[in-house]
Amino acid sequence: MKARLVDHLATFFFWLGAGIILVLLGALVGYLLFKGCKWIDLDFITRAPENLKAGGGVGPQLFNSFYLLVLSMLFTVPLGVGAGIYLAEYAGNGDVNPALALPRSKRASNFLLAALNLSIETLASLPSIVVGLFGLLIFVVSTGWGYSLMAGALALTVLNLPVMVRISLEALHAVPRDLKEASLALGASRWETIWKVVLPAAFPGLVTGGIITAGRVFGEAAALLYTAGMSSPVLDFSDWNPLHPNSPLNPFRPAATLAVHIWKINSEGLIPDVRRVADGSAALLIIVVLVFNLLARWLGSVLYRRMTAS
Amino acid sequence: MEGNKLTGGLAMASTTRQGFQNSLEELQQNILRMGSIVEQTIAKSVECLAKQDDKLAAEVVEGDVVVDDLELQIENQCLKLIVTQQPMAKDLRKIAAGFKIITDLERMADYSVDIARTAQRILATGQPLIKPLIDIPRMAELAQVMVKQSLDAYVREDTELAYRVAQADDLIDSLHNQVFRELIVFMMEDPKTIKQATHLLFVSRYLERIADHATNIAENAIYLATGERKELND
Amino acid sequence: MAQPKITINNLNFYYGSNRALKDVNLEIEAHAVTALIGPSGCGKSTFLRTLNRLNDLIDGARISGEILLDGQNIYAPEVDVVALRKRVGMVFQRPNPFPMSIYDNIAYGPRIHGITSRRELDGIVERSLKAAALWDEVAGRLRHSALGLSGGQQQRLCIARLLAVEPEVVLMDEPSSALDPISTLKIEELIHNLKEKYTIVIVTHNMQQAARVSDYTTFFLNGEMVEYDETEIIFTKPRDKRTEDYITGRFG
Repeated sequence: MKARLVDHLATFFFWLGAGIILVLLGALVGYLLFKGCKWIDLDFITRAPENLKAGGGVGPQLFNSFYLLVLSMLFTVPLGVGAGIYLAEYAGNGDVNPALALPRSKRASNFLLAALNLSIETLASLPSIVVGLFGLLIFVVSTGWGYSLMAGALALTVLNLPVMVRISLEALHAVPRDLKEASLALGASRWETIWKVVLPAAFPGLVTGGIITAGRVFGEAAALLYTAGMSSPVLDFSDWNPLHPNSPLNPFRPAATLAVHIWKINSEGLIPDVRRVADGSAALLIIVVLVFNLLARWLGSVLYRRMTAS
Repeated sequence: MEGNKLTGGLAMASTTRQGFQNSLEELQQNILRMGSIVEQTIAKSVECLAKQDDKLAAEVVEGDVVVDDLELQIENQCLKLIVTQQPMAKDLRKIAAGFKIITDLERMADYSVDIARTAQRILATGQPLIKPLIDIPRMAELAQVMVKQSLDAYVREDTELAYRVAQADDLIDSLHNQVFRELIVFMMEDPKTIKQATHLLFVSRYLERIADHATNIAENAIYLATGERKELND
Repeated sequence: MAQPKITINNLNFYYGSNRALKDVNLEIEAHAVTALIGPSGCGKSTFLRTLNRLNDLIDGARISGEILLDGQNIYAPEVDVVALRKRVGMVFQRPNPFPMSIYDNIAYGPRIHGITSRRELDGIVERSLKAAALWDEVAGRLRHSALGLSGGQQQRLCIARLLAVEPEVVLMDEPSSALDPISTLKIEELIHNLKEKYTIVIVTHNMQQAARVSDYTTFFLNGEMVEYDETEIIFTKPRDKRTEDYITGRFG
């Protein structure tokens, strides 16, 4: 009798916790969408912003967000997955995966491994503003690039790398040891096994990692303020040569993303319709992140099904 | 440590499959029970012949049903143990040998019935025994001892006893030859004795066959103990 | 008698200070099924995995003695492990098909070993599935995921996948312990048919299975090879008391 009561109570509290989270999220998103959706139209999405007058849009900022996403993923995914593979399949002492472990002489020393793990943990807990200032120092000043998409992408990579490594590591560890052994027992080499069996099997997990880091690229502002900058040059959307300074594809131009733009007009905007632009941008950002997540998951599952024939 | 593991395992030997062990013992007890019934049947069959006792002969003939039932019952018991316990090695040999032993016992009972029927036939002729029986009761006694000893050899896995059974078989064979020669002489001297003498010759022959089956049981006892098949009937 | 397929001489295997195999000497006949039986932790799986060097990279693992495959020591320094594993394949305890189509599972090995011709691969896939008695059940859905098959079918798929690389020796590590009785019998039937072309070594916890499928049986205890003989002899009149005690269920 008592056990049942406790059981009911526990179930109720877990349910309550989940309920509160849902209500909070629903209220927040609902409020933002309610306040902002009415401002969003094609004009708002495509026009360039105004500095003093009302009626500006967020076209370039939206484009910048996406472009920055592509650029930073270009660094984050290969580096993160690569480090994950190394940690999961190569560096370990073989307790996770004895069959794949390298001979002892070729493994990372325990000290190096511990140092690597510590670095990843530390990197993960860095405040993003610190990463932004570090980016300013290294990617903006030392390289001489100035505020640029590239500097922003690298700063975001620094920010996202630990998450990507952790998630890749987990996804790779989750691949059953049996599968790897089966591949090796068929006479496949270690690399063939990783490339043809382990990575495809870990793919859904890797996609999740990619989506989480992508969400951060959309939402991050602090790390970008001093790296990608708070303004964009006048963009010429008819010029797609990445080497031209006014081309949207030029990775070495400054670029404010949507999130940075929201922060900027809220704190120092001179336009009369600050509320309109800020609320609209916030709602737009939420919608974009949502659409991106759904699309990425859909694409991921299509790819996975294609690979696994399921 | 590994040594302990092993001896620890062996110390548990008696408890690991206690139920199965009990079943095997029960099987052997049943075989022994069947054996003792067969022993008595052999004794009675020769007794009814020697004493010209028609009632006893009828008893032997009717008693065969009991032995047949026992054989079926034990056979089922063996099959059940094989199916449910998947016996291996010595356990398997114990059951396999038991299976064959009950067939031998059943055949012995059949020969006893044949002897009893022969006694009835001799009685029916009204002719008294042409001579007092000496060697045939001796053969019967010997055959009984062989049955008992061969079964003991099986239960105790005693190969020495089994070999002694085989030696006794040689004695029965020579007794049979003696009976044969003796009866031939009777028949040559007096043709009127031919019918009864032939009947008695058959009785001797049946007893000799019973001893052969006892030797088979002894062979199975050796198989159980050693895993080797030895041919003791030569 | 013909030369044994595999000859094991004084094989010792250590995990750190733990001696998992002790002076194992054994000859494995070609085109026969050899069963390895023994209680858990007796070293039979470890032994099986030394035969294709699947566990020689474990931390602190050390091996002494030699394993001759057709007279050549597979632990000699010049031996290519990848090439060895192509010759000595393995089927695992749990069915482990790759998360790919049935076709790609079978074609995995041949592709790794450089076969790209579509027609050639088609032929290999069909032959292998037929050899594993699975063709009739999956012929119409080669492009479907292998994970959609039943456990027993998956295990036969794994066997077909192995046959596709044309090994000489097939190692099986309790191949039917995760399967239902009917699937188990199908696997056993398959094993019986395969020995014509392959040399098979099977680890099994199930003594009845060993009795059913194998020609020779080896009993392992505490890392020692206690007894080796024809299966019929092991199960009716083992010579060693320890074998007798184990197979009659007196311990273990």
